Amino acid sequence: MQTVIVTGATSGIGLETARLLAQHGMRIIGVGRTEAHCAQAKQSILSSVPDAPIHFYAADLMQRREVLRLGALLAHDLEGNSDGRLFALINNAGCARSWYRTTEDGYEQQFALNHLAGFLLTYTLLPFLLHAGGRVIMTGSQSHKGAKVYWQDVMLSRNYHPLRAYKQSKLCNLLFAQALNDRYAAHGIRAYVVDPGLVNTDIGTKEQGIVRFAWRFRKPFGVPPAIPAQTFDFLCRAQEHPPGLYYALCREKPYSSAVGKEQAERLFILSEQLCGITYGEVRA
Amino acid sequence: MNVMIMGAAGGLGRAMAVECARRGYHLFLTDLDEQALLCIKAGLERRFRTTVVAKACDLTDGGSVDAMLCFLDRNGLKFDMLLNIAGTDFEGSFLSREREKIVQIIALNDAATLRITHAILHRRRQGRRFVTLFVSSLASMFPMPLKATYAAPKRFLLDFATALRQELKGQNANVLVLCPGGMVTNDASAAAIAAQGIWGTLTTNPLEVVARKALDHALHGKRCYIPGVLNRMLSVLGKILPPPWVAAAVYWRWHRAQRKWLNVPNAHAR
Ligand SMILES: NC(=O)c1ccc[n+]([C@@H]2O[C@H](COP(=O)([O-])OP(=O)(O)OC[C@H]3O[C@@H](n4cnc5c(N)ncnc54)[C@H](OP(=O)(O)O)[C@@H]3O)[C@@H](O)[C@H]2O)c1
Repeated sequence: MQTVIVTGATSGIGLETARLLAQHGMRIIGVGRTEAHCAQAKQSILSSVPDAPIHFYAADLMQRREVLRLGALLAHDLEGNSDGRLFALINNAGCARSWYRTTEDGYEQQFALNHLAGFLLTYTLLPFLLHAGGRVIMTGSQSHKGAKVYWQDVMLSRNYHPLRAYKQSKLCNLLFAQALNDRYAAHGIRAYVVDPGLVNTDIGTKEQGIVRFAWRFRKPFGVPPAIPAQTFDFLCRAQEHPPGLYYALCREKPYSSAVGKEQAERLFILSEQLCGITYGEVRA
Repeated sequence: MNVMIMGAAGGLGRAMAVECARRGYHLFLTDLDEQALLCIKAGLERRFRTTVVAKACDLTDGGSVDAMLCFLDRNGLKFDMLLNIAGTDFEGSFLSREREKIVQIIALNDAATLRITHAILHRRRQGRRFVTLFVSSLASMFPMPLKATYAAPKRFLLDFATALRQELKGQNANVLVLCPGGMVTNDASAAAIAAQGIWGTLTTNPLEVVARKALDHALHGKRCYIPGVLNRMLSVLGKILPPPWVAAAVYWRWHRAQRKWLNVPNAHAR
């Protein structure tokens, strides 16, 4: 049975993706922020897919030390239960912030969760992905178009703008996927970004301020999270690695011209430095 | 520049630490929470080329402070700047608060601040300008029913800072007192500000801007920094209106807001 890890699997897009993949016979490891949300999500999936092989781990992925702790737990799980193979990792956990707020490392929270958490978790699970020739899928957004990386101050700590920070983090998802493909496609790993479209979830309601205010008007126009779940399902279950980078509604889509090898490599090196790791050291 | 930051693991403390590290200052960080302190130290070192030393210390405990001072002296550490950011608050009316918690507020916000300021002023780097910053609050400008045990100690800091600044005038030193309105540092403070409605939003200041400008003001020899035009106007009102009127108005506003958010643990709105 193929194992798929889904972060942010306790609500919205992640929950529906985990449910759909479980329905299609995958072994699911869900990751949520709190034990309570994990228990609820597990119950919810089991109510629609009884006996689904599903297990949840709680970790606050915004914090680097929590990602590392989770990585160790997941490594143990994968070694014991799936022959050391990880078929797909879906880095979906994300947030939107109205204000500049920092993690315990002093990192801006949208950058830390939406980009760095996935970057670091992928690193901790790389041996298992290499072993399975696995897929890494990020939940991106159409909003990456028109965004750029503020290299001089990626955390926007001098001139914070919530939407700019969100868009930049989503551009980083594409740059990370590009860099993973540049480095590891030859080793059998393939990375993708899914554009879920506007989705009716609670992402904006979990924050106060301008994000909450704006989300109140946007949310009703969103599609149900089961719609983007189909694209994740498509990318996970395709026999061969699909060839593209950016997908929406199960089809390849054009993405920003800001996504290129050079920028991708630059972000990769910066992210390694910010996470205190070097990908090059990892071997299958 | 050697900078000591008290309360470096909290929201404003972290933002100040990031701003100082970006400017290339060398940092000595303290906080009660050792684990959190190590995280911010490591985060800063990964991001900036600067020296960061971190040592956990309970600022309300004389023994713990003495141990930290011994460490400074053993290593010959002297400073050019002291940022007194550590502080605490427990919301609610005077009688609804636990007696010991009331005392804790004064012990940390005032007594510990004086203890550290005294110690670090004696550990200034010779022949260099020295700057110290106290974090008071917009609340210090008014009598604040339902936040009295927070606002009054903050008023103490405001007056103390002004007086100390005068005493140090001939000694190449400046003292800045920062009086921010609300700042969003965590979910609880965001909820507390939201509960105050439009006034909460209007009097809230962006953390990163407060951190940056407070340092600029301190270095430029300013006495007091109240972030935000509206907050500065409110502070003027606090000076010209009769205190009983101000107390009545604050009570009316705070009573309604606190009912909404008092079930939120650790609400540090301002
Ligand atoms: N909704 C949209 O229109 C839209 C559009 C484009 C892209 N996206 C992206 O889609 C992804 C999922 O968002 P969603 O709309 O499904 O929102 P959501 O319902 O809020 O889901 C976010 C998930 O991430 C988890 N999470 C949040 N903070 C976390 C943390 N610190 N540690 C671990 N997990 C954490 C949440 O856990 P809790 O349940 O505990 O909060 C939840 O499971 C995000 O990356 C978002 O940027 C959404």
